[in-house]
Amino acid sequence: MTAALQAFPTAPIASDVAPRDATNDADARDRAPLPGLAGLLLPTEPVRPETSVLDVAQQFLDPRHAGLLSLPVVAVGGRPVGMISRYELMRVFLQPYGRELYGRRPITALMDRAPLVLPLSTSIDEAARTIAAHVKSPITDDFVLVDDAGYAGTGLVLDVLHAVEHRLAERSRELERAYARLKSSQSQLVQSEKMASLGQMVAGLVHEINTPLGYVRNNVEMTRAALGDAARLVSAQQAVIDALTGEAEPDDDLDTRFAEVGHLRTRVDAAALDDLCGLLDDTVHGVGQIGELVLNLKDFSRLDQAGLQKADINRLVESALRIVAHVLRKRDIEVVLKLGEIPPLDCAPAQINQVLLNLLSNAAQAIEHERGRIVVATQALDRRVLVVVEDNGKGIEAEHLPRVFDPFFTTKPVGQGTGMGLAISHQIVEQHGGAIRVSSKPGTGTRFLVVLPVSGAAGAAP
Amino acid sequence: MSAPLPSVLFVDDEERILRSLRMLFRGRCEILTTTSGREAVEWVRRRPVHVVVSDQRMPGMTGVEVLREVAAHSPATMRILLTGYADMDAVTASVNDGEIYRFIEKPWVAQYLVDTVEQAARVARHDFALAAARPAAPAASAADTAIAARVAVLDDDGALPAQVRELLPAAVRVEHAPDLEGTLELLADHDVAVVIARLSSTDGDVAEALKQLKRLRPATLAIVVSSLRDSRLLIGLINEGQVFRFLLQPAPRELLRRGLAAALERHAHLRTQSDLLQRHAVDAPRHEPVATTTGRLLQAWRRLREAATLRIA
Repeated sequence: MTAALQAFPTAPIASDVAPRDATNDADARDRAPLPGLAGLLLPTEPVRPETSVLDVAQQFLDPRHAGLLSLPVVAVGGRPVGMISRYELMRVFLQPYGRELYGRRPITALMDRAPLVLPLSTSIDEAARTIAAHVKSPITDDFVLVDDAGYAGTGLVLDVLHAVEHRLAERSRELERAYARLKSSQSQLVQSEKMASLGQMVAGLVHEINTPLGYVRNNVEMTRAALGDAARLVSAQQAVIDALTGEAEPDDDLDTRFAEVGHLRTRVDAAALDDLCGLLDDTVHGVGQIGELVLNLKDFSRLDQAGLQKADINRLVESALRIVAHVLRKRDIEVVLKLGEIPPLDCAPAQINQVLLNLLSNAAQAIEHERGRIVVATQALDRRVLVVVEDNGKGIEAEHLPRVFDPFFTTKPVGQGTGMGLAISHQIVEQHGGAIRVSSKPGTGTRFLVVLPVSGAAGAAP
Repeated sequence: MSAPLPSVLFVDDEERILRSLRMLFRGRCEILTTTSGREAVEWVRRRPVHVVVSDQRMPGMTGVEVLREVAAHSPATMRILLTGYADMDAVTASVNDGEIYRFIEKPWVAQYLVDTVEQAARVARHDFALAAARPAAPAASAADTAIAARVAVLDDDGALPAQVRELLPAAVRVEHAPDLEGTLELLADHDVAVVIARLSSTDGDVAEALKQLKRLRPATLAIVVSSLRDSRLLIGLINEGQVFRFLLQPAPRELLRRGLAAALERHAHLRTQSDLLQRHAVDAPRHEPVATTTGRLLQAWRRLREAATLRIA
């Protein structure tokens, strides 16, 4: 057998594949995967076609071949001609006189003449497909790898399986990462939509609060100044009275005191005090207005709380209207309220507020003429509540209508709309077990209808 | 024609604000009030109005629109914005379109508002009288004003100076100063008509320097180019620095060209009629500029102050 091995021209092949030997190590394959099957190449010493069956059997016992199901049969010049498997040898040797009958015959007598031969450049996926098409049960053979120069080595089916599994795991990790990225960017968008509408709202509120604060502060400052004058007048008058009634020492300065009273009376008189009362009435009104705004703001401050509460939809409508009041007033838009008798509704009030706010500000933005009008109507129907927001603005083109609830869909100029407002509204209404519908006629106006179940999302479930 | 009291027109869509202001200014001036921007413009067309104080957010016309119309019909009228919310667009427009004297936020401090309006009224009465005395004074043409004018560009980058150079006639000298010290030295040695400064941070010395500069050289006009959308910074530049134009970076070519032309014209006008300089009077800056300044910068300031004193003397 030693002689047979020595006679075998293995050296060139062995040296040829020696540099690839490192790839034999499974860890190395994981660390630096070569493209395609090259990463799985084993520099197996092939057997020659004329080698005897017994010698081939001997080679299977070589520890270097312990992991191999089969050995390649390669002709001079590197042309693979067949594959001989342990399974086939075993089948023959187990037969009575099998060893004696076949032992001395060349291996070509037993080999598989149509082994699976794959070019080194084959991709793992393609190899997996080809192997799956060829493989027999039980798996008895590995496969031959060739390059331009002919035989290059062998590859194990098991290694291909591992590689495929590795790639699948890698891909699913990639998918997971992509999914996570998508999810976070979506929640960022929802957040930025929220912030955009919040920013708009805050700007309006700051103005709404600072206006009454402006006259309140001014009125208070003026009242303080006037009270100072009034106090001086009272004490000057008292001094004059005291001098006249003899309560105090009569002094020579009576004339001066009279003059002082006269002067102060030009600054503080009944009319001025009357005016001051008027200013204080304004002040009370202004403080009341600020208080009301702050109260409305409280409803919006818990945007993230989704907790279900009993809420009066009419109050939500009124509070949303107050928040957008500055926009409506700026555009001289008339608001017509037709609020019906509505039972308390199970809902997340902050979220419904967001929907109403979105519909109202969309309606206001759609109006580009001077006779703007927004109708807000509520109505109870069976166990449902209907909310209608209707404007007489420019309307929505028929081709845009089916897309208005799509995320990112906007007809507003760049930077003015995120295209998320109606998408989020749609989501909120659906989560409440309700529905939102739109109808529009370009040039005439748009009507949004929101239907919500009185008993909340749970009650809406079929 | 001199009225005993200056006339001040208040414009606000909130009647209570007007009532409150009427009370505050009673006896101090002839008070006109309206809730409509359009009516305000009509008032100014019909009769002399020394000061207009307008709200910004109103139905129909915004305050900036009102003040722009007022400026067109009656340039001598001083314009003040009194508003409850300073959004960046409104503040920018108030500088560039309204050329306002002060930007005051609600709620205001009564005494500050009274002082500011009275000061504005004094300036306006003076200008009205001046205009009446010299009715036919022809405005200097743009070509005349450009001659021998000097423009300083404060920018650590070369792009802005190059653009300014390209936009101006050859007769105008454009000097590039990469830092504040260089700019101050230029200002100490020469009569600079316009300073164009790129502002890249809110806490730098540049904004404060521009304010100090306005006090020392009221005839020098400042154009600020910045990417900072900071309304507070800009309000400071208006009230304490009387910034002439504020352009958001990258400044559109045409806006920059028009701003430069207007600034050169205004400078020439101010030089011939130094009486008008009061229109550019500023509030005292809230910060002293020396807090963070280096020795070299301090020296530059000193030289500039001396030069300013000499000029006045």
